[in-house]
Amino acid sequence: MTLFGIAIRNLKRRKARMAFLIAGLMIGVATVVTLSSLTVAMQEDIQHKMENYGANILVTPVRNELSLNYGGIALGGVSVQAQELRQADLPLIATIPNARNIAAIAPKVLGTVSVDGKTALLMGVDAEVEFHLKRWWHLDGAPLAAASDLVAGSRAAATLGLAVGGVVDIQGTTFQVSGILQPTGSQDDELLLVGLAPAQRLLGKVGVVSFVEVAALCGDCPVSDMVNQISTVLPQAQVDAIQQVVQSRMHALEQFQSFSLVVSLLVLFVGSLVVFVTMMGSVNERCHEIGIFRALGFRKKHIVRLILTESVIVSVIAGLAGFVTGLGVAWLLLPHLADSGHGAHIGFDPLLAGSAVLIAIVVGALAALYPALHASRLDPADALRTL
Amino acid sequence: MSFIELVNLQKAYGSAPNQVVALDDVNLTVEEGSFVGIVGPSGSGKSTLLTLLGALAEPTAGNMRIDEIDVYALGEEQRADFRREYIGFVFQAYNLIPYLTALENVMLPLAMTSTRAAEQQRLATVALERVGLAGRLKHLPNQLSGGEQERVAIARALVNRPPLLLADEPTGSLDSTTSAAIMELFCELNRDGQTILMVTHNPENRRYFHRVVTLRDGGIEDDSELRPTLAVAAGR
Repeated sequence: MTLFGIAIRNLKRRKARMAFLIAGLMIGVATVVTLSSLTVAMQEDIQHKMENYGANILVTPVRNELSLNYGGIALGGVSVQAQELRQADLPLIATIPNARNIAAIAPKVLGTVSVDGKTALLMGVDAEVEFHLKRWWHLDGAPLAAASDLVAGSRAAATLGLAVGGVVDIQGTTFQVSGILQPTGSQDDELLLVGLAPAQRLLGKVGVVSFVEVAALCGDCPVSDMVNQISTVLPQAQVDAIQQVVQSRMHALEQFQSFSLVVSLLVLFVGSLVVFVTMMGSVNERCHEIGIFRALGFRKKHIVRLILTESVIVSVIAGLAGFVTGLGVAWLLLPHLADSGHGAHIGFDPLLAGSAVLIAIVVGALAALYPALHASRLDPADALRTL
Repeated sequence: MSFIELVNLQKAYGSAPNQVVALDDVNLTVEEGSFVGIVGPSGSGKSTLLTLLGALAEPTAGNMRIDEIDVYALGEEQRADFRREYIGFVFQAYNLIPYLTALENVMLPLAMTSTRAAEQQRLATVALERVGLAGRLKHLPNQLSGGEQERVAIARALVNRPPLLLADEPTGSLDSTTSAAIMELFCELNRDGQTILMVTHNPENRRYFHRVVTLRDGGIEDDSELRPTLAVAAGR
């Protein structure tokens, strides 16, 4: 006969109580596992979406002129007279060590043109990359498809009297207005967007770009690493992280993590209360039995170990059941919370499994500690009550 | 030196002016191998005396030596060890653990020793065979008769081979035939050299004792030797 054997026997005789204890802890552990799994999966999903939602690195020529603002972001010295970047150098960005973390490279050429006697800002873009990057752009009409297509910002269209399907002549080159951007509230509203090559020809900047926006997936590497690597391959460029974007993304993710942690702790606390109350009730019911153990020569520490052993057995079962349940719930909830097509998924994580069981054991043991100490302090003569 | 020595033993509960003195200045010696009956009316202090002899409670005053060990000079945990090694207790209501089989109940006193599982099982089986329950090893207490439960309690008290066996009304809830069988078992153990102190209300049990100590109002009213112990009879 061992303490473990006695503990098992006692748990078996009170199956309903054991089930209640397991359920209480299991719900707490399952909540932790669900929220933790969802947090990780949604983080990947959110990060993926956020990092494809606009650039977070800006590559510009070395600043030597007055700065201009574009979309509220300092361009770091872009001006129409500044030295521009060579288009032929741009593939070097894809050779950096963290190239796999690059989601998009969006070169642009910028300049002023005359349209019907009015000066307008023309931007040449890689249409596919640009429209993928600027997901907040909503169009009346269609994006750039052909080299002769043009998309106008809302204010530019209003000023120049452009409409979808219309035609506009820019310095002798005819473009068809394929789409008009809905108001964005930024300088995009003032732009005339055409393909990169046509814009380069119009502006006399064949083979050069004014600046490049880079969208980096920064889940496992700091943006500063990416910035340094791009700077190394493009020594003639100024490379900056758009800190405002980076920090706001990190802040959103951190807030989500904090929320998950608080909810998990609360539910675990409730689970531990269930264990505490149930174990106290059990100890009070077993006064007589504990008195017998003490009368037979069990020391106080044996009584403590006995109660804690029961708690640990229950906790291990609750931890395993909680992990499986939590994982299942997370798997069921994820499609409703994230686009799993973008890589968000729930997988088996041995570390999470081990942590779930460990959390259950720690919480269960701590909750049972006071009842165990209380049991050990029972006076054997009083507990027996037959003497 | 006697096997058991009680010197000016006193036990009081509560505090003045509501204090109850359960045992008042008791002096008693018991030789090894004795079979002593402790009798007296309700409230005379019999169970309190047994509690103190079993090292289950501390006296208010006085001291107690068993096998030359000053029991109440030991710390609380050392007294637990002492109970395990020196004392076998047969409780009034058997006090078997209801979810353990007869064999497991008897193995309990061995649980906190270094005895290996197989040896525990062997010793417990021998103890149960000694009390005539070889065929009841796997039975739970609620599957045993009163007499059988009493025998399991006796086997549990003996499994560690303690020098001293204390029994509190072991036949209190048994019929006369079963009571007689239980008392014969105790006699048999005593003949094998076991020192036994037994609290009893049953006057029929007196014939089994070497000596009867009568308590009244917390003190010893009478202390009569009925017959010599086997050790004395053998001139030891």
